[in-house]
Amino acid sequence: MREKATTLYLGPQHPGITGNMMIRLKVEGDTIVGATTEVGYLHRAFEKLQEKRNWLQSFTLMCRFCVPETDPMEESYARAVEAIEGREVPERAKYIRVMVLELARLASFMLWYGGQNGSLGLYTMGQWSVGDRNYILDLFEELTGGRVYHMYIWPGGVRRDLPKGFEQRVLKTLNYLEKRLDDYDDLMFDNAIFKKRVQGVGIVNKEKAIEHGVVGPVLRGCGIKSDIRIDDPYEVYDKLDFEVPTSDGADIWARALVRRREARQSIRIIRQVIDMMPGGSVYNKIPNPQKWTLPKGDAYVRTESVRGEIGMYIASDGGLNPRRVHLRGAAYVHAITLLEDVLIGENIADVSAIMNSLGTCPPEIER
Amino acid sequence: MNMQEIKENLITHVKANFPEAAEKEFDGNRLDFNVDKQCIPSILTYLKDRLGYIHLSHIACVDWLEEGEFEIIFIVWSPEEKMKVFIRTRIDREKPVMPNIDMIWRQANTYERELREMFGVEFIGLEAPDEFLLEDWGGPPPMRRDFDTEAYADDTFWHRPGREDALDVREEIIRRSREEIPDFAKKYSR
Repeated sequence: MREKATTLYLGPQHPGITGNMMIRLKVEGDTIVGATTEVGYLHRAFEKLQEKRNWLQSFTLMCRFCVPETDPMEESYARAVEAIEGREVPERAKYIRVMVLELARLASFMLWYGGQNGSLGLYTMGQWSVGDRNYILDLFEELTGGRVYHMYIWPGGVRRDLPKGFEQRVLKTLNYLEKRLDDYDDLMFDNAIFKKRVQGVGIVNKEKAIEHGVVGPVLRGCGIKSDIRIDDPYEVYDKLDFEVPTSDGADIWARALVRRREARQSIRIIRQVIDMMPGGSVYNKIPNPQKWTLPKGDAYVRTESVRGEIGMYIASDGGLNPRRVHLRGAAYVHAITLLEDVLIGENIADVSAIMNSLGTCPPEIER
Repeated sequence: MNMQEIKENLITHVKANFPEAAEKEFDGNRLDFNVDKQCIPSILTYLKDRLGYIHLSHIACVDWLEEGEFEIIFIVWSPEEKMKVFIRTRIDREKPVMPNIDMIWRQANTYERELREMFGVEFIGLEAPDEFLLEDWGGPPPMRRDFDTEAYADDTFWHRPGREDALDVREEIIRRSREEIPDFAKKYSR
């Protein structure tokens, strides 16, 4: 006898520790036969607000688009504005930007470690990694004054130079974190429960990835070597030596392996950046913000975040305010059409693990 | 091939198939084509299937209120040629209708839903639930330039009794509690 399908609502209170969104699941027994993503719980109309603010005021909103990793948005806004205006950035500022971006990546990986394990009921990892993330946030606090929202990478460079001895403190933190990553491996990747829960679950194969426009670790987890830092290099990534890890499994396990190796690559990049960092100024001064106009034109820049590609489209009409700002995060693609497709045939208990693995971040969808 | 050769090659191929497409070159790995909206599905299919532009990176809409037009911009990326191509089209602001492209890339569905809701652009044949980000929305599409946020809020919502605009909170507290509130600024100033 065929079981009757039941509708089940997952969310909107932080399903899978990702943020406020809802998935309407159609289930037969505990197998999912249909899924619809419903968003709208977090819309803050940032893009509308930016049309009423000048170019510098709207920069202060950028970091608030997505909480786990705030710097790629600031950086892409700054870079898009610089592209429209043709403003040069000092070399030292570019290195500092890369350092901040990679520290933010590392902090975001720490949250992912916690989220991915927490979604399977393995809470020890979250307590370790979120605790260790605080050491990175301490560095951010020293550098920018803020732990989560930094407002540090702005058009023309960065807001201030590194404090005295900051590089040494970064290296010390990295040495500590590198050791901790070994501990994480023991706890997460040698864990039979974790393996059993994630292997063969949440498959995104190559064909599906191309069809849905998948980006970031999810794309690399199905064997496609793609990273914007290599393919469309920005700042000083073309001068740095790092690897783009891939894996062929196409499931949550494969994507976890990719992220595990990427975290180590971030440490490698930061060490190189500190080694190679030139002296000089960090900021090409912008004009009076109240009178600062950009020439008519538009720009689209892309940044690699932990979840994948972040695209920033900015159009200027030659006035004091942006004509249009439109941000596209990885979750904009992953958490709607792709998630609805991937969930079919999976078990209810695996939904939040799949969401975490795809890099779902609702604030990025709604903006 | 270097970047300039890739651009020239691309312009030759696109112009051979879409003679009306007007190109505009930029520094770096960016190339723009202005086309008619009817060409959009065919030019995107051509770029994807023949020229390797397999990744749809973005669909943006800009409201040029003064000119009475919306500009819709499709941005595609080729991992082989490392090139961004902007396909731009202008449509009438009064009757904004666009062809749907979610059969070429599934994720276009999400972008189109957002443009439909936020700008009121109709995509012919778009199959998606009516609501995306807004719930029970009765007003005009909110991302249009002529949407007045403050006027809409004043018309649609109301102030809680006692919280009408331009109310001096200090006076209200004094009236309710019948107590004098000290002037802290004066009291603690040196």
